Amino acid sequence: MNRVISFFKKPCRWAAMYGVILALAFTLVLLDVFVIPKAQVRVEPPATPVYPESSEHDDSAGYIVPDAATNTAEKEEDKDEAAEENLPANPVITDTSYVDKNISISIDTVRNNATTLYVADIQISNVSYLKTALAKNVFGRNIKQTTSAMAEERQAIFAVNGDYYGFRDTGYVLRNGVNYRDSGKDNALVIDSGGNLSIAHEGAVSMETLVAGGAWQIFSFGPVLVLDGEITVDDSSEVGRAKRGNPRTAIGQAGELHYIVIVSDGRTKESQGLSLLELAEEFAERGCSVAYNLDGGGSSTMVFNGRIVNNPTDGRREGEREVSDIVYIGYE
Amino acid sequence: MSISAMNRRWLVRTALIFLLVSAACIAATNIYALFGHGVRSASMDTMFLYPLLMGAAPWLLLAALFPMMGRRRLFRPAFNLYNSGIAALTTGAMLNGILEIAGTASAYQPLFMAAGWIFVFIGFILFLIPDSGGRTDRKAKNP
Repeated sequence: MNRVISFFKKPCRWAAMYGVILALAFTLVLLDVFVIPKAQVRVEPPATPVYPESSEHDDSAGYIVPDAATNTAEKEEDKDEAAEENLPANPVITDTSYVDKNISISIDTVRNNATTLYVADIQISNVSYLKTALAKNVFGRNIKQTTSAMAEERQAIFAVNGDYYGFRDTGYVLRNGVNYRDSGKDNALVIDSGGNLSIAHEGAVSMETLVAGGAWQIFSFGPVLVLDGEITVDDSSEVGRAKRGNPRTAIGQAGELHYIVIVSDGRTKESQGLSLLELAEEFAERGCSVAYNLDGGGSSTMVFNGRIVNNPTDGRREGEREVSDIVYIGYE
Repeated sequence: MSISAMNRRWLVRTALIFLLVSAACIAATNIYALFGHGVRSASMDTMFLYPLLMGAAPWLLLAALFPMMGRRRLFRPAFNLYNSGIAALTTGAMLNGILEIAGTASAYQPLFMAAGWIFVFIGFILFLIPDSGGRTDRKAKNP
Protein backbone atom coordinates (compact mmCIF):
# COMPACT_ATOMS: atom_id res chain seq x y z
CA MET A 1 0.00 0.00 0.00
CA ASN A 2 2.80 2.36 0.95
CA ARG A 3 4.53 1.62 -2.36
CA VAL A 4 1.37 2.50 -4.25
CA ILE A 5 1.02 5.72 -2.30
CA SER A 6 4.68 6.52 -2.90
CA PHE A 7 4.29 5.84 -6.64
CA PHE A 8 1.41 8.25 -6.98
CA LYS A 9 3.10 10.88 -4.84
CA LYS A 10 5.33 11.72 -7.79
CA PRO A 11 3.93 14.79 -9.50
CA CYS A 12 1.58 14.17 -12.42
CA ARG A 13 1.60 10.34 -12.29
CA TRP A 14 -1.88 10.07 -10.84
CA ALA A 15 -3.19 12.97 -12.88
CA ALA A 16 -1.83 11.53 -16.12
CA MET A 17 -3.21 8.04 -15.52
CA TYR A 18 -6.57 9.26 -14.26
CA GLY A 19 -6.87 11.79 -17.09
CA VAL A 20 -6.38 9.07 -19.69
CA ILE A 21 -8.96 6.81 -18.03
CA LEU A 22 -11.49 9.64 -17.74
CA ALA A 23 -11.01 10.68 -21.36
CA LEU A 24 -11.40 7.08 -22.51
CA ALA A 25 -14.57 6.60 -20.45
CA PHE A 26 -16.01 9.88 -21.80
CA THR A 27 -15.25 8.87 -25.39
CA LEU A 28 -16.66 5.38 -24.96
CA VAL A 29 -19.94 6.69 -23.57
CA LEU A 30 -20.30 9.10 -26.49
CA LEU A 31 -19.54 6.31 -28.96
CA ASP A 32 -22.03 4.07 -27.18
CA VAL A 33 -24.76 6.69 -27.37
CA PHE A 34 -24.19 8.12 -30.82
CA VAL A 35 -22.24 5.67 -32.95
CA ILE A 36 -22.03 2.00 -32.00
CA PRO A 37 -24.92 0.06 -33.56
CA LYS A 38 -26.62 -2.35 -31.19
CA ALA A 39 -29.02 -4.62 -32.97
CA GLN A 40 -31.52 -6.27 -30.67
CA VAL A 41 -34.19 -7.82 -32.88
CA ARG A 42 -34.24 -8.52 -36.60
CA VAL A 43 -37.63 -7.98 -38.16
CA GLU A 44 -38.75 -11.17 -39.87
CA PRO A 45 -41.42 -10.33 -42.40
CA PRO A 46 -44.11 -13.00 -42.76
CA ALA A 47 -44.24 -15.07 -45.97
CA THR A 48 -47.27 -13.06 -46.98
CA PRO A 49 -48.34 -9.82 -45.41
CA VAL A 50 -50.86 -10.21 -42.63
CA TYR A 51 -52.79 -7.19 -41.53
CA PRO A 52 -55.34 -6.60 -38.84
CA GLU A 53 -58.91 -7.34 -39.65
CA SER A 54 -60.97 -4.62 -41.22
CA SER A 55 -64.38 -4.83 -42.84
CA GLU A 56 -63.53 -2.15 -45.39
CA HIS A 57 -60.59 -3.97 -46.91
CA ASP A 58 -60.66 -4.14 -50.70
CA ASP A 59 -59.54 -7.67 -51.49
CA SER A 60 -58.93 -6.80 -55.08
CA ALA A 61 -55.95 -4.80 -53.88
CA GLY A 62 -54.46 -8.13 -53.07
CA TYR A 63 -53.43 -8.95 -49.50
CA ILE A 64 -53.60 -12.62 -48.67
CA VAL A 65 -54.00 -13.97 -45.20
CA PRO A 66 -51.92 -17.16 -45.06
CA ASP A 67 -53.77 -20.40 -44.53
CA ALA A 68 -52.08 -22.62 -42.00
CA ALA A 69 -53.05 -25.68 -44.03
CA THR A 70 -51.32 -24.65 -47.23
CA ASN A 71 -47.86 -26.00 -47.91
CA THR A 72 -44.76 -23.95 -48.52
CA ALA A 73 -44.90 -24.23 -52.31
CA GLU A 74 -48.45 -23.02 -52.38
CA LYS A 75 -47.47 -20.15 -50.13
CA GLU A 76 -44.71 -19.17 -52.54
CA GLU A 77 -47.21 -19.20 -55.41
CA ASP A 78 -49.62 -17.16 -53.37
CA LYS A 79 -46.84 -14.73 -52.57
CA ASP A 80 -46.04 -14.18 -56.24
CA GLU A 81 -49.68 -13.78 -57.11
CA ALA A 82 -50.13 -11.40 -54.22
CA ALA A 83 -47.21 -9.29 -55.35
CA GLU A 84 -48.77 -8.94 -58.78
CA GLU A 85 -52.22 -8.29 -57.43
CA ASN A 86 -50.85 -5.72 -54.98
CA LEU A 87 -50.15 -3.32 -57.78
CA PRO A 88 -53.12 -1.03 -58.14
CA ALA A 89 -54.64 -0.57 -61.58
CA ASN A 90 -54.02 2.75 -63.27
CA PRO A 91 -53.04 5.07 -60.45
CA VAL A 92 -53.20 8.74 -61.33
CA ILE A 93 -49.92 10.30 -60.31
CA THR A 94 -48.79 13.93 -60.45
CA ASP A 95 -45.95 15.78 -58.75
CA THR A 96 -48.19 16.48 -55.78
CA SER A 97 -50.84 13.79 -55.82
CA TYR A 98 -51.48 10.09 -56.08
CA VAL A 99 -54.87 8.48 -56.52
CA ASP A 100 -55.88 4.88 -56.98
CA LYS A 101 -58.87 2.95 -55.75
CA ASN A 102 -57.37 2.42 -52.29
CA ILE A 103 -55.10 5.36 -51.67
CA SER A 104 -55.50 9.06 -52.24
CA ILE A 105 -52.70 11.47 -51.36
CA SER A 106 -52.38 15.16 -52.12
CA ILE A 107 -49.55 17.37 -50.95
CA ASP A 108 -49.96 21.11 -50.54
CA THR A 109 -47.09 23.49 -50.01
CA VAL A 110 -48.13 26.21 -47.60
CA ARG A 111 -46.32 29.29 -46.36
CA ASN A 112 -47.14 30.22 -42.75
CA ASN A 113 -45.25 31.80 -39.86
CA ALA A 114 -42.27 32.54 -42.12
CA THR A 115 -41.98 28.82 -42.75
CA THR A 116 -42.71 26.49 -45.63
CA LEU A 117 -44.96 23.58 -44.71
CA TYR A 118 -45.72 20.47 -46.69
CA VAL A 119 -49.19 19.22 -45.85
CA ALA A 120 -50.14 15.74 -46.99
CA ASP A 121 -53.84 14.88 -47.02
CA ILE A 122 -54.16 11.10 -47.05
CA GLN A 123 -57.25 8.96 -47.44
CA ILE A 124 -56.92 5.19 -47.51
CA SER A 125 -59.50 2.46 -47.82
CA ASN A 126 -57.83 0.14 -45.29
CA VAL A 127 -55.44 0.59 -42.40
CA SER A 128 -53.13 -1.98 -43.97
CA TYR A 129 -51.85 0.72 -46.33
CA LEU A 130 -50.63 2.81 -43.38
CA LYS A 131 -47.38 1.08 -42.51
CA THR A 132 -44.19 1.48 -40.55
CA ALA A 133 -40.69 0.19 -41.15
CA LEU A 134 -37.48 -0.03 -39.17
CA ALA A 135 -34.10 0.89 -40.61
CA LYS A 136 -32.38 -2.16 -42.09
CA ASN A 137 -35.28 -4.25 -40.78
CA VAL A 138 -33.59 -4.30 -37.40
CA PHE A 139 -34.73 -3.00 -34.04
CA GLY A 140 -31.86 -1.55 -32.05
CA ARG A 141 -29.90 1.49 -31.03
CA ASN A 142 -27.99 3.44 -33.68
CA ILE A 143 -29.42 1.29 -36.48
CA LYS A 144 -30.11 3.98 -39.06
CA GLN A 145 -31.08 4.63 -42.66
CA THR A 146 -32.36 7.66 -44.47
CA THR A 147 -36.12 8.03 -44.81
CA SER A 148 -35.80 8.01 -48.60
CA ALA A 149 -33.74 4.79 -48.61
CA MET A 150 -36.26 3.01 -46.40
CA ALA A 151 -39.11 4.34 -48.55
CA GLU A 152 -37.42 3.16 -51.72
CA GLU A 153 -36.79 -0.35 -50.36
CA ARG A 154 -40.48 -0.67 -49.57
CA GLN A 155 -41.68 1.10 -52.71
CA ALA A 156 -43.52 3.54 -50.51
CA ILE A 157 -45.80 5.99 -52.23
CA PHE A 158 -45.45 8.41 -49.34
CA ALA A 159 -43.18 8.34 -46.27
CA VAL A 160 -42.09 10.49 -43.36
CA ASN A 161 -39.61 9.89 -40.57
CA GLY A 162 -40.97 8.24 -37.42
CA ASP A 163 -40.11 8.80 -33.78
CA TYR A 164 -36.39 7.87 -33.99
CA TYR A 165 -36.90 5.35 -31.20
CA GLY A 166 -33.27 4.19 -31.53
CA PHE A 167 -31.93 7.41 -30.05
CA ARG A 168 -33.47 6.62 -26.69
CA ASP A 169 -33.62 3.63 -24.37
CA THR A 170 -37.20 4.16 -23.24
CA GLY A 171 -40.56 4.78 -24.87
CA TYR A 172 -43.03 2.22 -26.19
CA VAL A 173 -42.19 0.76 -29.58
CA LEU A 174 -44.92 -1.34 -31.22
CA ARG A 175 -44.65 -1.79 -34.94
CA ASN A 176 -47.00 -3.84 -37.08
CA GLY A 177 -48.25 -5.53 -33.94
CA VAL A 178 -44.81 -6.52 -32.67
CA ASN A 179 -43.77 -5.26 -29.23
CA TYR A 180 -40.15 -4.14 -29.34
CA ARG A 181 -39.98 -2.02 -26.19
CA ASP A 182 -42.43 -1.62 -23.34
CA SER A 183 -40.78 0.85 -21.00
CA GLY A 184 -41.63 4.52 -20.94
CA LYS A 185 -43.28 7.36 -19.09
CA ASP A 186 -44.54 9.79 -21.73
CA ASN A 187 -47.63 10.18 -23.85
CA ALA A 188 -47.47 7.79 -26.78
CA LEU A 189 -49.36 7.78 -30.07
CA VAL A 190 -51.38 4.63 -30.67
CA ILE A 191 -52.67 3.60 -34.08
CA ASP A 192 -55.13 0.79 -33.61
CA SER A 193 -56.16 -1.97 -35.98
CA GLY A 194 -59.02 0.19 -37.21
CA GLY A 195 -56.64 2.97 -38.19
CA ASN A 196 -57.71 5.30 -35.42
CA LEU A 197 -55.21 7.50 -33.60
CA SER A 198 -55.33 7.87 -29.85
CA ILE A 199 -53.04 8.88 -27.01
CA ALA A 200 -51.92 6.64 -24.15
CA HIS A 201 -49.77 7.56 -21.20
CA GLU A 202 -47.00 5.00 -20.95
CA GLY A 203 -46.87 5.26 -17.19
CA ALA A 204 -50.58 4.59 -16.84
CA VAL A 205 -51.33 1.96 -19.49
CA SER A 206 -49.18 -1.11 -20.06
CA MET A 207 -48.12 -2.30 -23.48
CA GLU A 208 -50.06 -5.54 -22.91
CA THR A 209 -53.25 -3.62 -22.26
CA LEU A 210 -52.78 -1.51 -25.36
CA VAL A 211 -52.08 -4.53 -27.56
CA ALA A 212 -55.08 -6.36 -26.09
CA GLY A 213 -57.13 -3.27 -26.93
CA GLY A 214 -56.11 -3.45 -30.58
CA ALA A 215 -53.00 -1.27 -30.76
CA TRP A 216 -51.10 -1.94 -33.99
CA GLN A 217 -48.48 0.82 -34.01
CA ILE A 218 -47.17 2.89 -31.09
CA PHE A 219 -44.87 5.89 -31.36
CA SER A 220 -43.20 7.58 -28.44
CA PHE A 221 -42.03 11.13 -29.00
CA GLY A 222 -44.57 13.91 -28.63
CA PRO A 223 -45.88 16.06 -27.30
CA VAL A 224 -49.55 15.60 -28.14
CA LEU A 225 -50.55 18.56 -30.30
CA VAL A 226 -54.29 18.09 -30.57
CA LEU A 227 -56.63 15.88 -28.56
CA ASP A 228 -60.41 15.72 -28.99
CA GLY A 229 -60.06 18.57 -31.45
CA GLU A 230 -58.49 20.88 -28.85
CA ILE A 231 -54.95 22.19 -29.00
CA THR A 232 -52.98 20.76 -26.07
CA VAL A 233 -49.75 22.75 -26.31
CA ASP A 234 -49.06 26.40 -25.59
CA ASP A 235 -46.48 28.96 -26.59
CA SER A 236 -43.98 27.66 -24.05
CA SER A 237 -44.21 24.00 -25.05
CA GLU A 238 -41.10 22.46 -26.50
CA VAL A 239 -39.48 19.10 -27.16
CA GLY A 240 -36.85 18.59 -24.48
CA ARG A 241 -34.49 21.51 -24.75
CA ALA A 242 -35.08 22.33 -28.39
CA LYS A 243 -35.51 25.95 -29.36
CA ARG A 244 -38.86 27.23 -30.60
CA GLY A 245 -38.49 27.31 -34.37
CA ASN A 246 -37.63 23.92 -35.82
CA PRO A 247 -38.23 21.63 -38.72
CA ARG A 248 -41.12 19.42 -37.64
CA THR A 249 -42.88 16.20 -38.54
CA ALA A 250 -46.30 15.39 -37.15
CA ILE A 251 -49.30 13.23 -37.94
CA GLY A 252 -52.99 13.79 -37.24
CA GLN A 253 -56.33 12.17 -37.93
CA ALA A 254 -59.10 14.15 -39.61
CA GLY A 255 -61.61 11.35 -40.13
CA GLU A 256 -61.97 7.62 -40.64
CA LEU A 257 -58.76 6.46 -42.36
CA HIS A 258 -58.18 10.11 -43.20
CA TYR A 259 -54.85 11.50 -42.05
CA ILE A 260 -53.00 14.78 -42.20
CA VAL A 261 -49.19 14.63 -42.15
CA ILE A 262 -47.25 17.88 -41.91
CA VAL A 263 -43.54 18.38 -42.38
CA SER A 264 -42.11 21.87 -42.02
CA ASP A 265 -38.81 23.31 -43.09
CA GLY A 266 -36.75 25.22 -40.54
CA ARG A 267 -33.34 26.41 -39.39
CA THR A 268 -32.78 28.11 -42.76
CA LYS A 269 -32.91 31.69 -44.03
CA GLU A 270 -36.05 30.84 -45.99
CA SER A 271 -37.85 29.06 -43.16
CA GLN A 272 -37.46 29.79 -39.48
CA GLY A 273 -39.36 26.69 -38.44
CA LEU A 274 -42.52 26.22 -36.40
CA SER A 275 -43.20 26.28 -32.72
CA LEU A 276 -45.27 23.39 -31.41
CA LEU A 277 -48.22 25.72 -30.95
CA GLU A 278 -48.02 26.89 -34.57
CA LEU A 279 -47.82 23.26 -35.68
CA ALA A 280 -50.81 22.31 -33.53
CA GLU A 281 -52.82 25.20 -35.04
CA GLU A 282 -52.19 23.80 -38.52
CA PHE A 283 -53.75 20.48 -37.50
CA ALA A 284 -56.66 22.07 -35.64
CA GLU A 285 -57.47 24.24 -38.67
CA ARG A 286 -57.68 21.09 -40.78
CA GLY A 287 -60.18 19.47 -38.48
CA CYS A 288 -57.94 16.90 -36.83
CA SER A 289 -59.28 15.30 -33.67
CA VAL A 290 -55.84 13.97 -32.71
CA ALA A 291 -52.37 15.13 -33.74
CA TYR A 292 -48.98 14.05 -32.43
CA ASN A 293 -45.49 15.41 -32.90
CA LEU A 294 -42.88 12.99 -34.25
CA ASP A 295 -39.12 13.44 -34.38
CA GLY A 296 -38.16 16.74 -35.96
CA GLY A 297 -35.08 18.86 -36.52
CA GLY A 298 -32.65 17.29 -38.95
CA SER A 299 -34.77 14.13 -39.03
CA SER A 300 -37.80 15.79 -40.64
CA THR A 301 -38.17 14.34 -44.11
CA MET A 302 -41.14 13.80 -46.41
CA VAL A 303 -40.77 11.51 -49.41
CA PHE A 304 -43.40 11.27 -52.14
CA ASN A 305 -43.07 8.94 -55.13
CA GLY A 306 -39.33 8.58 -54.56
CA ARG A 307 -38.72 12.31 -54.31
CA ILE A 308 -37.80 14.26 -51.17
CA VAL A 309 -40.45 16.94 -50.84
CA ASN A 310 -39.07 19.18 -48.07
CA ASN A 311 -35.60 20.61 -47.49
CA PRO A 312 -34.11 18.48 -44.72
CA THR A 313 -31.39 20.16 -42.72
CA ASP A 314 -30.03 20.05 -39.22
CA GLY A 315 -29.10 23.72 -39.53
CA ARG A 316 -25.46 23.02 -40.27
CA ARG A 317 -25.63 21.05 -43.48
CA GLU A 318 -28.36 20.26 -45.94
CA GLY A 319 -29.48 16.74 -46.61
CA GLU A 320 -31.26 13.88 -44.95
CA ARG A 321 -30.34 12.58 -41.55
CA GLU A 322 -30.40 8.85 -41.02
CA VAL A 323 -33.18 7.78 -38.67
CA SER A 324 -34.46 4.62 -37.01
CA ASP A 325 -37.86 4.29 -38.59
CA ILE A 326 -40.46 5.61 -40.98
CA VAL A 327 -44.23 5.84 -41.33
CA TYR A 328 -45.35 5.21 -44.89
CA ILE A 329 -48.23 4.63 -47.24
CA GLY A 330 -47.82 1.86 -49.75
CA TYR A 331 -48.56 -1.63 -50.88
CA GLU A 332 -45.24 -3.43 -50.22
CA MET B 1 11.97 30.39 1.06
CA SER B 2 10.22 28.84 4.07
CA ILE B 3 8.37 25.53 3.85
CA SER B 4 5.17 27.37 4.69
CA ALA B 5 5.68 29.77 1.78
CA MET B 6 6.48 26.88 -0.59
CA ASN B 7 3.30 25.08 0.38
CA ARG B 8 1.27 28.23 0.03
CA ARG B 9 2.67 28.89 -3.43
CA TRP B 10 1.95 25.34 -4.51
CA LEU B 11 -1.63 25.50 -3.24
CA VAL B 12 -2.22 28.83 -4.94
CA ARG B 13 -0.86 27.39 -8.19
CA THR B 14 -3.33 24.50 -7.89
CA ALA B 15 -6.16 26.96 -7.28
CA LEU B 16 -5.14 28.93 -10.36
CA ILE B 17 -5.21 25.78 -12.45
CA PHE B 18 -8.77 25.16 -11.27
CA LEU B 19 -9.66 28.74 -12.16
CA LEU B 20 -8.32 28.13 -15.65
CA VAL B 21 -10.32 24.90 -15.90
CA SER B 22 -13.41 26.79 -14.78
CA ALA B 23 -12.86 29.43 -17.45
CA ALA B 24 -12.30 26.69 -20.04
CA CYS B 25 -15.64 25.13 -19.02
CA ILE B 26 -17.45 28.45 -19.58
CA ALA B 27 -15.79 28.82 -22.98
CA ALA B 28 -16.61 25.23 -23.97
CA THR B 29 -20.24 25.69 -22.93
CA ASN B 30 -20.66 28.78 -25.05
CA ILE B 31 -18.86 27.34 -28.05
CA TYR B 32 -21.03 24.22 -27.85
CA ALA B 33 -24.15 26.40 -27.69
CA LEU B 34 -23.07 28.18 -30.88
CA PHE B 35 -23.25 24.89 -32.78
CA GLY B 36 -26.37 23.64 -31.02
CA HIS B 37 -28.96 25.99 -32.56
CA GLY B 38 -29.05 27.93 -29.31
CA VAL B 39 -30.09 24.85 -27.34
CA ARG B 40 -28.61 24.91 -23.85
CA SER B 41 -28.43 22.56 -20.93
CA ALA B 42 -28.48 23.61 -17.29
CA SER B 43 -26.07 20.82 -16.53
CA MET B 44 -23.52 22.10 -19.02
CA ASP B 45 -24.16 25.73 -18.12
CA THR B 46 -23.26 25.07 -14.48
CA MET B 47 -20.39 22.62 -14.90
CA PHE B 48 -17.85 25.42 -14.36
CA LEU B 49 -19.02 25.62 -10.74
CA TYR B 50 -17.36 22.32 -9.83
CA PRO B 51 -13.77 23.44 -10.46
CA LEU B 52 -14.57 26.94 -9.22
CA LEU B 53 -16.33 26.20 -5.94
CA MET B 54 -14.91 22.79 -5.13
CA GLY B 55 -11.45 23.34 -6.61
CA ALA B 56 -10.18 26.91 -6.71
CA ALA B 57 -12.00 28.23 -3.64
CA PRO B 58 -10.96 25.54 -1.11
CA TRP B 59 -7.33 25.51 -2.25
CA LEU B 60 -7.11 29.30 -1.96
CA LEU B 61 -8.62 29.10 1.52
CA LEU B 62 -6.21 26.36 2.48
CA ALA B 63 -3.27 28.37 1.15
CA ALA B 64 -4.38 31.34 3.24
CA LEU B 65 -5.33 29.55 6.45
CA PHE B 66 -3.55 26.19 6.65
CA PRO B 67 -0.55 26.17 4.31
CA MET B 68 1.21 23.50 6.39
CA MET B 69 -1.58 21.00 5.79
CA GLY B 70 0.24 19.97 2.65
CA ARG B 71 2.96 18.43 4.81
CA ARG B 72 0.64 15.72 6.10
CA ARG B 73 1.49 12.14 5.16
CA LEU B 74 -1.91 11.41 3.58
CA PHE B 75 -2.23 14.80 1.95
CA ARG B 76 -1.10 13.64 -1.49
CA PRO B 77 -3.55 10.73 -1.85
CA ALA B 78 -6.30 12.91 -0.43
CA PHE B 79 -5.37 15.67 -2.85
CA ASN B 80 -5.35 13.25 -5.81
CA LEU B 81 -8.69 11.66 -4.92
CA TYR B 82 -10.41 14.96 -4.18
CA ASN B 83 -9.25 16.54 -7.43
CA SER B 84 -10.13 13.38 -9.36
CA GLY B 85 -13.63 13.65 -7.95
CA ILE B 86 -13.94 17.21 -9.22
CA ALA B 87 -12.70 16.08 -12.64
CA ALA B 88 -15.27 13.25 -12.75
CA LEU B 89 -18.09 15.58 -11.68
CA THR B 90 -17.13 18.17 -14.29
CA THR B 91 -16.84 15.53 -17.02
CA GLY B 92 -20.14 13.98 -15.94
CA ALA B 93 -21.86 17.36 -16.10
CA MET B 94 -20.48 17.98 -19.58
CA LEU B 95 -21.58 14.53 -20.72
CA ASN B 96 -25.03 15.08 -19.26
CA GLY B 97 -25.24 18.41 -21.08
CA ILE B 98 -24.29 16.86 -24.41
CA LEU B 99 -26.88 14.12 -23.98
CA GLU B 100 -29.58 16.54 -22.82
CA ILE B 101 -29.02 18.83 -25.77
CA ALA B 102 -29.14 15.87 -28.15
CA GLY B 103 -32.34 14.64 -26.47
CA THR B 104 -31.02 11.28 -25.38
CA ALA B 105 -29.58 9.60 -22.30
CA SER B 106 -27.05 7.00 -21.24
CA ALA B 107 -27.09 4.54 -18.39
CA TYR B 108 -23.38 5.20 -17.91
CA GLN B 109 -23.59 8.96 -17.31
CA PRO B 110 -24.69 8.69 -13.66
CA LEU B 111 -21.58 6.59 -12.98
CA PHE B 112 -19.41 9.66 -13.58
CA MET B 113 -21.35 11.61 -10.98
CA ALA B 114 -21.34 8.72 -8.52
CA ALA B 115 -17.59 8.14 -8.94
CA GLY B 116 -16.99 11.89 -8.62
CA TRP B 117 -18.85 12.24 -5.33
CA ILE B 118 -17.25 9.08 -3.91
CA PHE B 119 -13.75 10.36 -4.77
CA VAL B 120 -14.54 13.75 -3.28
CA PHE B 121 -15.90 12.16 -0.12
CA ILE B 122 -12.95 9.80 0.38
CA GLY B 123 -10.49 12.59 -0.38
CA PHE B 124 -12.20 14.85 2.12
CA ILE B 125 -12.09 12.16 4.83
CA LEU B 126 -8.38 11.59 4.18
CA PHE B 127 -7.77 15.33 4.61
CA LEU B 128 -9.29 15.10 8.06
CA ILE B 129 -7.12 12.21 9.27
CA PRO B 130 -4.33 13.69 11.34
CA ASP B 131 -0.78 12.30 11.25
CA SER B 132 -0.11 10.02 14.19
CA GLY B 133 2.28 11.65 16.68
CA GLY B 134 2.54 14.76 14.59
CA ARG B 135 4.47 12.99 11.82
CA THR B 136 4.69 14.81 8.56
CA ASP B 137 5.93 13.80 5.14
CA ARG B 138 9.56 14.86 5.42
CA LYS B 139 10.62 13.61 2.01
CA ALA B 140 8.38 15.87 0.02
CA LYS B 141 9.65 19.33 -0.78
CA ASN B 142 6.12 20.20 -1.52
CA PRO B 143 3.03 18.00 -1.25
